[in-house]
Amino acid sequence: MATPNQPTVTDETFPKQTNKTYALVELMHGEGPMVGKGPDGTVFSFPVVLLIEIILVLGVTLAVFLFSLVKNAPLEAIANPLVTTDPAKAPWYFVGLQELLEHMHPTVAGVLIPTCLVIFLVLLPYIDRSRAHVGVWFSTPRGKRIVVWTALYTVIATAAYVLLDNQFSLREMLRDVVPVWVAQGLVPALIIAIIVVLPALVLRLRKATTRELMIALFTIMLFSALIFTLSGFFLRGPGFKMYLPWQMPNGYNPLDGL
Amino acid sequence: MKSGREGKRLFSRREVVGTVWGVSLVALFGQFSGALFEYLKPRIPAGGFGSKVTAGLAKEFKPGTVSYVQSGRFYISCLPDGGLLALWQRCTHLGCTVPWVKAKKLFMCPCHSSVFNPEGVVVSGPAPRPLDLFPIQIIGGEVIVDTSQPISRDKFDISQVTRV
Amino acid sequence: MSVQTRSRWAPLTESRVWRSFFRHGPPNNPLDRSLVMTSNIFLHLHPVKVNRKSLKWSYSFGLGVISAILFGTLVFTGVLLMFYYVPSVERAYPALLNIQVSVPLGQFTRNMHRWSAHLMVLAVILHMVRVFYTGGYKPPREFNWLVGVGLLLLTLGASFTGYLLPWDQLSYWAITVGTNIAGYVPLVGAATKSLLLGGPEVGQDALIRFYTLHIAVLPVLMMLAVSIHLWRVRKDGGLAINDSNDAGDKVGEDAIGN
Repeated sequence: MATPNQPTVTDETFPKQTNKTYALVELMHGEGPMVGKGPDGTVFSFPVVLLIEIILVLGVTLAVFLFSLVKNAPLEAIANPLVTTDPAKAPWYFVGLQELLEHMHPTVAGVLIPTCLVIFLVLLPYIDRSRAHVGVWFSTPRGKRIVVWTALYTVIATAAYVLLDNQFSLREMLRDVVPVWVAQGLVPALIIAIIVVLPALVLRLRKATTRELMIALFTIMLFSALIFTLSGFFLRGPGFKMYLPWQMPNGYNPLDGL
Repeated sequence: MKSGREGKRLFSRREVVGTVWGVSLVALFGQFSGALFEYLKPRIPAGGFGSKVTAGLAKEFKPGTVSYVQSGRFYISCLPDGGLLALWQRCTHLGCTVPWVKAKKLFMCPCHSSVFNPEGVVVSGPAPRPLDLFPIQIIGGEVIVDTSQPISRDKFDISQVTRV
Repeated sequence: MSVQTRSRWAPLTESRVWRSFFRHGPPNNPLDRSLVMTSNIFLHLHPVKVNRKSLKWSYSFGLGVISAILFGTLVFTGVLLMFYYVPSVERAYPALLNIQVSVPLGQFTRNMHRWSAHLMVLAVILHMVRVFYTGGYKPPREFNWLVGVGLLLLTLGASFTGYLLPWDQLSYWAITVGTNIAGYVPLVGAATKSLLLGGPEVGQDALIRFYTLHIAVLPVLMMLAVSIHLWRVRKDGGLAINDSNDAGDKVGEDAIGN
C-alpha cells in the first residue's frame, strides 16, 4: 500500500517569498466539494477498496449460503381465495403497517402516515442544510444524547400506546358515540401527532438546531416503526389478537411466515 | 428605429420556437403517459366476478342460521324473523375472507380481528362499514343472488332484508 | 522508489493481447493505480483515491456495498429460478414444488433468493439509518439522498411483488391485504389498485403484472438508480466524512481524483 502523500501546501505548492508583502494563496473557480478543505489522508482505491469489497462479497455470500442450508424458505398450501389463513400477515417490513392498521382507520394508517414519512425523507436534506459535523455519528455528543433519550421515549410511548389501545380500545369505547372518522381517524392521528410533536417542542424550548430536531424526528420514526414491527410480528397471533410469542394458540409460530 | 422595434418585441423568435418545442415535448410525453395508462388499464368484464347464483330453496334457510354459498362467495344470513340477507364474504377492511364462527354466532376476520354480527354489522374491530350485500330475488321459492353488484352500506336497515 | 524487477508474468502482461484489454501497466505506482480505476468500466464508479476515514469499518459498516452485493445475489438466483418458474395461477405453485423437490439445488436456490431478499430490505434500511445519523444527506449530497429514498422504495416494491409469485396462502393474503391498503388512497386509490392487480381481486392478471414488475421493470429501474447513486457518491467527493477540523486552516488540494 502506498503511503499517503501529504503535501505541505503552504510551502511546497505556493512558496512564500519573504521579500513580498503578498502571496498567491489559491486560484479557485466556482465552488466544489473540496473548497476550504485541507489536504486529507487519502489512499489510492486500488487495491484497498477492491480488497474490502471482495471480502464483503465473500462474507455476505457465505452468510446467506450457510443460512440457506439451515433454514428453508416457507411454502404454505396453494393460494385459496375462499379461505384466509389465520393469522394473515404481511411481509415483515410491512407488518408494522399492519399493526398500525389494527389501531386506526386505513386512510390514516395505510395512506396518511406512510405519505408523511416519505415526504419527511424527501424534504429532509432541503430543511437541514447546515454543513457542520458532517461525517460524525450523531453530529455532536449532544446529538447522541438526543438520540438516546428520544429512542427511549419513543419505545416507551409507542409500546404504551400499542398495549393500552389493545387493552382499552379507543375504537370500541367510542363506537356509536362519535362518527367512525373521529374514533378511528382523528383521535388516533392526534395521539400519534402528539407523540411525535412533544419531543420536538421540548427541543425547541432548549434551542435545538435544525439538525438536532431532524435527529429527534428520524429517531422517533425509526423506533416507532421498530416497536410496531416487533409487536405485529411477535405479539400478534390467530385473529391478529395479542399473545405472548411463546403462548401462541394452535401451534402458531411467528417465525414461520418470514 | 430598428433597435426600438426590437425592444418592443415581447418574445424573440428563439424564445417562441423554444417554447413551442418545450410544450410539444411535454404534450408528447403526456400523450405517451395516457396511452401507457390506457394500455395497462384492466378491462374488467361486465358483471364483475359473478353472475346470478342460486343459493337454494328459501324454505331451506332456518331462522337464526347462517349458510355459506361457496360458488357465490357469500353467506345467506337468515335473521330470527325469517328475513334473508346475502352477505359478501369479503371483509370491508382489507379484503380478507371472513369465516363464520358458528360457536360464537359471529363473523370473525383473521386479518385484523374485525367482528361482524349475523346482520353483517361491525361488532368490534377496525372494519369501517358493515359487510357488503348482494341483492336477493326470490323466484319460484328459489333464492337468486346477483353477485355482480355488491352494495356497500353504512348501517343495518330493515329495508335491506328480503322476505319470502 | 526501488528499481523494479521484471515480473514473471511480464511475457503475458506485456503481450499485445493483454495490452489491448488493459490499458495500464502493473498497478504498483500512482499513475497505473489511477488508470486501473479510470480505464475500467466497472471500477470507474470508484474514485481513484479515497479518504482513510471513509474506509473505517465502524463508520459505514459497509452497508451500501452489502446492499449492492445482495442485489447481485438476487439477480443471479432470480434468473436461475426463472428457468423453472411459470407465472400462471395453475402452474406457479406446482413449479415451486418442482423447484423444491426435483431440481438439483432448487430448494437451495430458492432459499438463497428468499433470504437475500429479506436481508437486502434490512441492509437498505440500515444503510439509510447510517447515512442519516452521520449527516450524509447534507449539501452537496441532497440529490443522492433522494436517489437513495427512491432505491429504498424500489427495494420494498421488488420484495413485495416477489412475495406473490409462489402463489401460496402466505403470498396470496399478504398481497390481498397490501393492495387493499392502496385502495384507501383518496381519489387515485381505486385506480392504482386495479392498475396493479389488473382486475378487482388478486388473480391471474395480478400474478402476471407482479411477475413483470418483479423480473423486468423494477430490477432495471434499480440498476439505473444504483448506477446514478454510486456515480454521485464519487462526484460529490466520496463518502461524507468529517473534515471540519482542517476546514479553513489549510488551503484546498484536489486530493480526490475527479
